[in-house]
Amino acid sequence: MASADQRAFLHNLRRALTGNAVNAPVPAGDPVDRQAGIYQRPTRVESRGREERLSLLDQVIEESGPINLKVTAHKDIQSVAMGIRRLAVESQPEWGDKKQVAAWNHPLIKALNLPEVLKETGIPVEFPIQTHAGDREKQRQWIFDAYIGITSADFCLADSATLVLKTRAGQDRSVSLVPSIHVAVIRLEQILGSLKELYFILDNDPEQVQEGLTPCLTFITGPSKTADIEATMVHGAHGPREVYLFVVTGE
Amino acid sequence: MKPNPEQYTATARTAVADPVLQKALAGLQDRFGRGTALAYQQLPEGPDLRHVAHDIRMDAIQHLDSLLDELAGNFRKNGGQVYFAQDAKDAVAYCLKVAQENNVKRVVKGKSMVTEEIRLNDALADAGIEALETDLGEYIIQLANEGPSHLIAPAVHKSKEDVGRLFTEKLGIDYTDDPPSLTRVARKALREKFLAADMGLSGCNLACAETGHITTVSNEGNIRMASTLPRIHMVFMGMERIAARLQDLDILLRLLCRGAAAQKLGTYVSHISGPASPDNLDGPEQLHLVILDNGRSKMLADPDFREMLCCIRCAACLNVCPVYGKIGGHSYGFAYSGPVGAVVTPLLIGINRAADLCQGETLCGACQNACPVNIDLPRMLLLLRAKLADGDEKWQVSRRSSLEKAAYQFWARIMQNRRTYDLAVDAAQLLQRLLPTNRGMLRFLPPPFNGWTKSRDMQPLAAETFAQWWKANQKGDAHGKR
Amino acid sequence: MKPKATLFIQCIVDSVFPKVGQSMVRVLDRLGVSMNYPSDQTCCGQPAFNSGYRGEARGAAKRFIEIFEDAETIVCPSGSCVSMVRNHYSDLFENDPRWLERARHVAGKTFEFSEFLVDILKVENVGASFEKRVTYHDSCHLMRGIGVSRQPRTLIANVNGIDFVEMHDADRCCGFGGAFSFKYPDISTAMLEDKVRNIEASGAGVVVGCDMGCLMNIQGMLNRKNANIKTMHIAELLDHETQS
Repeated sequence: MASADQRAFLHNLRRALTGNAVNAPVPAGDPVDRQAGIYQRPTRVESRGREERLSLLDQVIEESGPINLKVTAHKDIQSVAMGIRRLAVESQPEWGDKKQVAAWNHPLIKALNLPEVLKETGIPVEFPIQTHAGDREKQRQWIFDAYIGITSADFCLADSATLVLKTRAGQDRSVSLVPSIHVAVIRLEQILGSLKELYFILDNDPEQVQEGLTPCLTFITGPSKTADIEATMVHGAHGPREVYLFVVTGE
Repeated sequence: MKPNPEQYTATARTAVADPVLQKALAGLQDRFGRGTALAYQQLPEGPDLRHVAHDIRMDAIQHLDSLLDELAGNFRKNGGQVYFAQDAKDAVAYCLKVAQENNVKRVVKGKSMVTEEIRLNDALADAGIEALETDLGEYIIQLANEGPSHLIAPAVHKSKEDVGRLFTEKLGIDYTDDPPSLTRVARKALREKFLAADMGLSGCNLACAETGHITTVSNEGNIRMASTLPRIHMVFMGMERIAARLQDLDILLRLLCRGAAAQKLGTYVSHISGPASPDNLDGPEQLHLVILDNGRSKMLADPDFREMLCCIRCAACLNVCPVYGKIGGHSYGFAYSGPVGAVVTPLLIGINRAADLCQGETLCGACQNACPVNIDLPRMLLLLRAKLADGDEKWQVSRRSSLEKAAYQFWARIMQNRRTYDLAVDAAQLLQRLLPTNRGMLRFLPPPFNGWTKSRDMQPLAAETFAQWWKANQKGDAHGKR
Repeated sequence: MKPKATLFIQCIVDSVFPKVGQSMVRVLDRLGVSMNYPSDQTCCGQPAFNSGYRGEARGAAKRFIEIFEDAETIVCPSGSCVSMVRNHYSDLFENDPRWLERARHVAGKTFEFSEFLVDILKVENVGASFEKRVTYHDSCHLMRGIGVSRQPRTLIANVNGIDFVEMHDADRCCGFGGAFSFKYPDISTAMLEDKVRNIEASGAGVVVGCDMGCLMNIQGMLNRKNANIKTMHIAELLDHETQS
């Protein structure tokens, strides 16, 4: 339902575009041929063999260097869990000295069996789901005080080593944002070639279309950074200052 | 910062003599100007992708009314609120209303040139609301009480020593000029502010009409913080910042990030639509989108300037402009500096007021080459100059100088036939004998040409023209008509 | 068949640097190009156009078109004037289909000198000799206006005995910009200082260019500084005939 401010505003634009002939028909059709010449969209969702997938993983690793993203490949989820445990033990919290971990409610993250894996280290892990207004504050505070946030991702784009994260219940955006260290765990099959491929899938894969982009679709390309002081690159501005990507290759 | 484009020449004079600024601008242009050109070359489609992007943007502008309608509908469907603001006053009033209705005391801001344009920070401060800039560059200049001098790197004019002294003075820390240490100080100070803020404000790089999402791009993570943690998130969007389809974002985001900082993608890109919902409380309780006109519809109504609405505010043009590279952003006296500022500022705040902005460059064309959507800025600068030369009713421009007009009319008369041209050359040859020389060149020219001879000598008119030489030395003339 | 060139000698060369025109004539003559020179030509209109005086520019443009429209090929030792004719005459006549057509017709056969040599005559070596270190300045309207940057470099590189070095930021504006250099002298000077610094840093004793506006600007500061570096139009460089 268009509000008064909207009606007046758009009426004004229409006048501007049509030279005051507001009731003129809108030009028909789409004159911009988005498929022309140098820019071609995929025509179907790609299905890749294992070799191709491993080659995309190599590309992710290559792209990760300059952006300070740490990528490791693991045969199975247990190996990833060991890697995360080592990281949790060796890393120090940035704020205060309490170590606690916030993790996504996600099948792949659950499969890590973190509570068991971290039990001996004494580092607690929670899987915040902010569904009840009552314990929303408690859940949020847990994430704020966590020094490591563990998420999965929907996709990873090989040509820029970019993680793609939708937002769902129990899969909060703050987990990949507020803790100083962000850990992401994905499967090899989730790696796509490019942004072009991603948008194509979002537009055409029935499950993706059904779900939509969600309230927040985030691309994360390495740790946060700034070059605002004398164009000197500093890693760790307001978002995480370290990002680790664990890829389960299932060899 | 109050707009003062009238200070262009005076501020430029100070700027070119400031060694800190000169070093900073040279470094910025060397790094980003070159980096962007290389980044375009490395695109899978090559730099011609900019032409495809131009068509997509132009098409969106040509359909702006229906796209904004579609955007608003989808944004609301996803649970957000949309307000269409006619002008700065309107936009500011809406923001204050929402703030007051929701008892907002502390605001955190992501970098937004639109909010600079409407001077939102001043209005919030007057209303007793703390509005803290969180982009490191903006945070720095806010502490220093200055305006931005670049669209993407607003504190480029400050040395690390400047920042060190500023932080010591305003934040009470021990002096350091080490960028990582200074960044950590800001990181800590702002983290607490993010966690405690009531409202987060951001701009919008590109909105997607098809899905109802706005996108924000940053490297620091401050926009993600400001749009995730506070209970209200308000987005300010120039009405032209829209893409029709989700697939358009592939081309536009890739070019935006290369144009802005020679990156494949900025560290964070967020597509946002919809506040927190009952089954997922992470995120703000309220999401507002303020769509701003503030003079843009006038540009839309003029087919000559409609193209300027294609701009995605990436600053690639600033990073190659040889004029900006000497005078810095403050000379332009408004939120938008560099080549984009030279066109947009006159059109938004008055062509006569900003006359120096559209005349004070050489039309070298580097800007268009660097622009990720290939906007023909020189064409529009020439048109602005034409309006200043002869006045323009539609844009309410009065002729800048009757004296200059008379001079060019006189010039046109002289050029109308060879005899008057030759007479003028003869007269000038006589007059130049009165002028002092230096190593065979003229040392001094009288006003209005004396600006030249402040720093350079001038080649005198030759003893005989080429035409005279040709007549004396070549057989057979041409037919010229007349 | 001997190509024929109609000479468009712009006002700054005609009245200030006639030797550039003379060199161009000699080089073309040696290449067997027959020439004619419409002696009543004056100006293409660019100074007025760039300052916004389109009516005044239009008058000059019409005259230019009338004088040159029957030529076979028009050659000019200036990138900016050729850019004016090829890129902006259509702006001046956008509302007049008849003149627009005539303007387009003339634009289609107007060439800058180095462009004419390399692209039309297919000559890359005119047989010149010059044993000095030289560098090259890309003037803005030549490079970005009509896309000419390879051709002058090819011609220069083929000069016998030459030591050609590229300067840093060869394609960065020198700060001339026509009226800009008079109206915004502080900015113009700052830009020019950078250009001169780059020329000096190249170690070259001569800076070559295709536009006398730029070279006049650069030479003005070099002279004021009592520097020994000279500016030279490409026609003058190519006019250094190899003595056999």
